[in-house]
Amino acid sequence: MSSEVFNNLEQDSALRASIDRSLRHPVMFFLTSGAAWLAVSIILGVISSAKVHSPGFLDGFGFLTYGRTQAAHLNALIYGWGFQAAFGVIVWMLSRLSRQECRAAGMILTAGHIWNLGVSVGIIGILAGFGTGMPWMEFPSFCWPVLLLSYFAIVVWSLVQFKVRPEGHVYISQWYLMAAMIWFPWVFITANVLLHMMPGNPVMAAGINAWYKSSLIFLFFTPVALGTAFYLVPKVSGRPIHSYSLAQLGFWSLAVIMPWAGMQKLTGAPIPYFLPYLGATATILFFVPAFTAAVNILRTAMTDPEVVNNSPTLRFTMAGVVGLIVMAVAAVFLNIPGKTMEFSQFSMSVYGFEILAIYAFFSFVMFGAIYFIVPRVTRREWLSRRLIKMHFFFSIYGIVSIAVIAIFGGVQQGIGQEAFDQPWLEAALRAYPYAVFITIAWCFILFSNIFFFMHLTVMWLRLGRRSTHPTLLVSGHHGSPHGEEGDIDNCGSGTASAH
Amino acid sequence: MSSPDHQSNPDLDETINVTQAHGRVASDCAAAAREKHLADSGREAVPLWVITACGVVLLIAGGVLGNAGTLFSYDNTFRADYVRGTAPGGAADGPQPKTALVAFSAKGSKIYSSKCNGCHGSDGKGDGANYPSLVGSDFVIGDTQQLAMVILNGIQGPTSTGKTYGAGIMPAQGAGMSAEDLAGVMTYIRNNFGNSTGDVTSVEMAKNAFDLSASREKAGQPVTSEEVRAAHSSMLAGAEIFPDIMVNPATLAPIE
Repeated sequence: MSSEVFNNLEQDSALRASIDRSLRHPVMFFLTSGAAWLAVSIILGVISSAKVHSPGFLDGFGFLTYGRTQAAHLNALIYGWGFQAAFGVIVWMLSRLSRQECRAAGMILTAGHIWNLGVSVGIIGILAGFGTGMPWMEFPSFCWPVLLLSYFAIVVWSLVQFKVRPEGHVYISQWYLMAAMIWFPWVFITANVLLHMMPGNPVMAAGINAWYKSSLIFLFFTPVALGTAFYLVPKVSGRPIHSYSLAQLGFWSLAVIMPWAGMQKLTGAPIPYFLPYLGATATILFFVPAFTAAVNILRTAMTDPEVVNNSPTLRFTMAGVVGLIVMAVAAVFLNIPGKTMEFSQFSMSVYGFEILAIYAFFSFVMFGAIYFIVPRVTRREWLSRRLIKMHFFFSIYGIVSIAVIAIFGGVQQGIGQEAFDQPWLEAALRAYPYAVFITIAWCFILFSNIFFFMHLTVMWLRLGRRSTHPTLLVSGHHGSPHGEEGDIDNCGSGTASAH
Repeated sequence: MSSPDHQSNPDLDETINVTQAHGRVASDCAAAAREKHLADSGREAVPLWVITACGVVLLIAGGVLGNAGTLFSYDNTFRADYVRGTAPGGAADGPQPKTALVAFSAKGSKIYSSKCNGCHGSDGKGDGANYPSLVGSDFVIGDTQQLAMVILNGIQGPTSTGKTYGAGIMPAQGAGMSAEDLAGVMTYIRNNFGNSTGDVTSVEMAKNAFDLSASREKAGQPVTSEEVRAAHSSMLAGAEIFPDIMVNPATLAPIE
């Protein structure tokens, strides 16, 4: 990292600060609008979950029926929050790793607005009843070219920066982020062209749809979150990544195994017999890339547990990595044919696994990244460690409840569904208590994210703390809530400050 | 700017407070400056226990893939010798279970078409002159004892509405009927043609009806509406069967 040009530490800091400054507007736009979509998604999630156990809830509104709110909930979560958080992190991190200021901030910001427009039109389309009915692709079919074009306009600059980067080895985060940036258009174009433009056998279309969902999780959200974690952990803790060979094993096993996953959703359907088994095998093998990466990150971070505990960034990132391990074990547990696979594919287990992947793993790492990036691009420190702690604990309680309840409740529901000589009501009654708890858990997550969104908006308005000291999650009474120095500085940046 | 001192020292401008300016640079880059550098990755070997854990998962995955049949054979959509496993509840031994209301009514509709259809008609409405309608009749949708007595013994004289029909008498239908037949036909009549009591007359209740019928004072003679109203204004005794419980449609016995 220390080439001749940047051997001067102060020059190096100035370069990093100027990279952050060049990206302030697009990055803050992606993160803040992403957080707003997350709040929208969670509200829709509460409504759709409530309808599972109380069908009379809000039944006077046609646009709030279960079929529409559930679809809008997941699509807002994926395209509104997930992708925009990923864009903010990718654009910032690859600029930093290529050591160049971003020269296309205006273009990225414009493309980001177009992406948002596409998502908004799509969500309104779903609620108005124009959804396509294909899971995770419910946006009306005219939306996908808009999303694809704005995607290219957002990420192409990072590819250019990578191409003209100063010499040096390619860091692990760059492998993962570049791979995700290239895999996503492949997956997205394949699925949308095959389903919207060249519709073939409808059973196979359901299979392609299932592959698309699985690929978004394993070939976009997973590598983005892993690349981010591999950057944040050494950056905050100051330790080198534990093992380079472990990282290589994790990356290449992800690349080789995960494109095969997804078709297990169609077990027993009249598609070629080997496909569901191949999908189940690949999904079980997700354990290998997930576990090796998680062990590597945990070994790196746990050399200094106190730093992990005090840093908001590392606390969220480590929670996300633990979420990854749980997700890897669930991938094995839910896909054993003859044991659990029959019970898990048409019940709320699927939903539990998706929420585990998107929220417990991906989103937690993204929260970690946001707590790291935002003070740098706004040059203000987070206002309140209490707000950060609220966000952390309510999110943890909520997501653990949802994942555990949906996965095990889904297996119970699946056992009920398999007893085909019993009325369907039996299966619904088995799922009832679990559904009630999922609604309550979403309310916890909603509560935590309203605070997160407010905190982030205040930071976006540059109303954060003017200080040279980070906001750490130290416990105990230090006199001032802003850390030991208590160096809150409201006199403007011209005043001399502690060094 | 006119002072010669400034010209000889262009870097020193007294309008700038140096301490302040340095502070601004320090605070603008503060977050970037306190960052740690990414060091070269460590070269630790892959730990043995990680390899072992991944090996166990590989074994599980291999077992799953072993069931896949021939890989990449796009013509086979199912396993060659596939048979659906036995359903819980022993459904493989007999006919497909149905809910009690459906199963009892199906049995009852057969009895109805052989014994009742001729007079009361396929729509249960009779003809208005000689044969009364079963739709909305007090004796049909009221207490089950009343309906059972009329079916088993027949009825003479005025019906539940007080009107005497052209036929004057309904003959007894109990001969040759089993308790299952009676339970079925009663459930059928009470839940069809526009009647919807929603309950099922169980086999046990039907047995109770045969007992009551045999112990009547004028056993063997048709009942009259006065007798029915006076002596049988109550439901048949016996264990209830809920309409949505699953039963074997042949024996009408509940599935355990």
